[in-house]
Amino acid sequence: MEQKVKKGIGWGGKPLKEMWGEKEQLYQETGCYYGLRELPLMKANPLKLEVLASRLLAAAIAGRETTRMISASPIVREVAELAVILYTPEGDSILQSTGLLIHLPLIGEVIQWMIKENYEEEEGINEGDCFTSNDNYIAGMHSADLYDIMPIFWEGDLVCWVGTVIMEPEVGALAPGCMPSGATERFVEGFRFTAEKTAVNDRHTKAFERRIRLGCRMPDLFLLDRKGALAANIKVREAIKKIIEDFGVDYFMEGTRELIEIERRAQLERVKRRTVPGKFQGESSYEIYASRGLVPPHHAIDRITLVPLDFYIRSDGSYYLDFDGTGSWGWHPSNITPAALRGALSMIITTTISYTGKANQGTFLAVDMNTPYDTFVYPSSPNVATGLLFTWPVTGGGLWMGQQSRAFFSRGFVEEFRSPVTFSYNTSAPVAMAGKDHWGRDFGFLNVEMMGCYGSGGFAIRDGILADALVQSDTDMGNAEVWELVLPVLWLGRRFLPDACGWGKYRSGHCVVSTYMIYKTQLLSLDTAGGGHCERICPNTGMFGGYPGQNGFGKVMTNTNMMQLIDQRKPLAHGEGYPGVGDLEGNIRGNLIIPWVNSYVKAIFGHGAVSQMYFGAAGAGVGDPVKRAPALAKEDLDNGLLTIDCCRHIYCIDASYDDKAEKWVIDEKNTAKLRERKRKERLAKGIPAKEWWQKRRQDIVEGKLPPLLKEMYNDSLAKGQRWPGEFRAFWQLPEDFTFSL
Amino acid sequence: MPGVSYPKEVIRDLIEGKLPWVQVKSMISGYKDDDRFDKYVQVLQEKVPWKEKILLPLTDELYIVQKGADRIVKCGCGHEFGDYRENWKLKALIYVRDTKEELEELYRYPSELDPEYCEIREHYCPGCGTQLEVDTVPFGYPSIFDFLPDLDVFYRDWLGRPLPHEKEFRDLTYDLVKRWAEGRVETGID
Repeated sequence: MEQKVKKGIGWGGKPLKEMWGEKEQLYQETGCYYGLRELPLMKANPLKLEVLASRLLAAAIAGRETTRMISASPIVREVAELAVILYTPEGDSILQSTGLLIHLPLIGEVIQWMIKENYEEEEGINEGDCFTSNDNYIAGMHSADLYDIMPIFWEGDLVCWVGTVIMEPEVGALAPGCMPSGATERFVEGFRFTAEKTAVNDRHTKAFERRIRLGCRMPDLFLLDRKGALAANIKVREAIKKIIEDFGVDYFMEGTRELIEIERRAQLERVKRRTVPGKFQGESSYEIYASRGLVPPHHAIDRITLVPLDFYIRSDGSYYLDFDGTGSWGWHPSNITPAALRGALSMIITTTISYTGKANQGTFLAVDMNTPYDTFVYPSSPNVATGLLFTWPVTGGGLWMGQQSRAFFSRGFVEEFRSPVTFSYNTSAPVAMAGKDHWGRDFGFLNVEMMGCYGSGGFAIRDGILADALVQSDTDMGNAEVWELVLPVLWLGRRFLPDACGWGKYRSGHCVVSTYMIYKTQLLSLDTAGGGHCERICPNTGMFGGYPGQNGFGKVMTNTNMMQLIDQRKPLAHGEGYPGVGDLEGNIRGNLIIPWVNSYVKAIFGHGAVSQMYFGAAGAGVGDPVKRAPALAKEDLDNGLLTIDCCRHIYCIDASYDDKAEKWVIDEKNTAKLRERKRKERLAKGIPAKEWWQKRRQDIVEGKLPPLLKEMYNDSLAKGQRWPGEFRAFWQLPEDFTFSL
Repeated sequence: MPGVSYPKEVIRDLIEGKLPWVQVKSMISGYKDDDRFDKYVQVLQEKVPWKEKILLPLTDELYIVQKGADRIVKCGCGHEFGDYRENWKLKALIYVRDTKEELEELYRYPSELDPEYCEIREHYCPGCGTQLEVDTVPFGYPSIFDFLPDLDVFYRDWLGRPLPHEKEFRDLTYDLVKRWAEGRVETGID
């Protein structure tokens, strides 16, 4: 009788490296995942395969909910920034729970890195092990996202992995402790787990726990999150074993591979049925003003970096994103990596086209990218800070989503159209705090209440959603009362900001402004560590004649008379108030600061100081604002989202307030007049494009641009292969044209 | 569930934003209708006041239409922008908001938005004055050609009914600006 020799821990005794190699080879040879030209299980009994997928999904969701019961962090319990994902032994995603959608391919890339680094022989991969990773050099979105990864064995063979991702509020970094705007190198970004074994036999090692206890400001929260992740992984592991018992291990292994191949084909088919092939042009730019912050002098460089994007929908239904022309990476935390780009695409694709709950590695096999090395999208140094890899997802990702929307629109699937916005363009984490908390303890914390309060962009057939969050569709801002347990602040209000939408026939959703008083601390600093890095240049998000929305901003006031006002029961500030006449400035005395975004606020805050943060994700409007239906404008007026000034000026809709009915009434006659006047005004002031082109070309030839922009263009002209030729051809410039500095 | 199809009236209401949200939601969540494109184009064709056949809607105002052997971009009002492979924005009227005051009309709260850095280009239809697109780009960035569809692949390979007069899939915008630079006379608005 033939004796099977077990060479490795993979299925059938194969080493994981061998499994990975075979899988890659089969894909190269056939174009099908694992060489699956045929789908025998699907063909034999599609319902049985569907049941397998459903049970896997249920296991992942149950694991996620378990974590939420164990964690003490509001980011997990309230905002629910976590997810549980299943992977094949080779590290290919099978499916994921509800929750964060951005990490689907990324944890798999960590597993693949472990396979290539020969963990199987050198580290040992055993039942009950857990590997922790937040090293963006391997894969990840920022160091705040911790991956806890556990192998699942069946009769000695590794048959799959489960990974849990949780966002942490504090990871022992430079103040404020998480995603500091002042980090330029990875060495100050806190804990760095490089796919490190942190648990054995389902228990965290003591060395790991000691490292946490002495390595960060809020170790209890961090450790409880890890225990929650470990519990989720164990729960999923046991559920998977039960599934294998019911289906048989061969069916499980072959079935999970078929689920990936089915999704690959489905994604290509969806694209062919819902879009139109072609080329979509776009760009985004990122403003880094490092000289403002507290960084080493040799990193204190201000720069604007260009990231052009040509997006192709190809004839076979695959997507191709070409980042040619991208400028240089820099010593700041806001570059991006190819892995983080894949994460961003995962978030958007799983929300906009592959939203059946079965997105997996197959989805991403239908997507290809060109990410030039040694640029902003692919830094060449492993030492660069990576705390804010969300730059492109925040801005460029939204723009890409808009490009895809054009394809939906042209094909007639107007209900699938979303104008660009993923997160805030300017300040995605405006209130990271550090200092002493209201219990007198050292603390640091990243408040992510804004995750649930972005306004979506407008749609092709309706207004944008108020307080939306594409990044995680089931999230909300969390209860202020729960945030107040861990942060030394008292919320004074959460209100929508009037007139702050992206104007359009269909406006964007509004976003929340949060107002709070600093409470029972005399030593607090704030960091408006951001995401989008758009300050002077507005992202190109308007569609079909709509405008981009209001950017984020903050207002803070120190040395206030708040205590006196409270004693006297005088009005405070609970929102912005009427635009331009803020309640903060109007009702409270103190030193007002309008802080820079994406940097530390240069002041120390104590009890009674007030902070007001507008999270500024208002996406863009869709369509000519002058074509907005008066009934929609009336609704906004009645709801306090729109002032009559903007209603008349932007929408060219006139209305008057009926005091008795306490409602606005549209004046149709005046509206018609205003609109006709606007039409004539446009025809009179618009100049033929050729005239504009000649004038702008002359500006370029004469170098009439700010130095930072000239440097930006020169950088991209030097780095790009295709893009420089197109730039020079558009402006009809010599082949060797660069700007003189 | 293969064979899902919606009445043309439903598609019309959907496009016009009149369909109740419950129905829109069920269309998003449900199986997609295979005949959507044709019904969509039929509804749009009935809305426009001209006769040229719509090949592809580009925006809520612009269409690529068949005109003789040519395929051109045409506004709902009837204004024609020329070959669809040239960026139609270079045949539009352009207005640039280049003062802080003009930016503050749109953005009423604290902002660093700066017209020296950011060019806000409004593109108007020369025929009807509709604002067709707004580009907000770094000052001096080329005009964004939002979408160049591969019409022949779409009709031939995806819909299975090739269009007459096949065209090369190529961005012709650079040829247009070259003619401008050489001072050659163009017809129409440019």
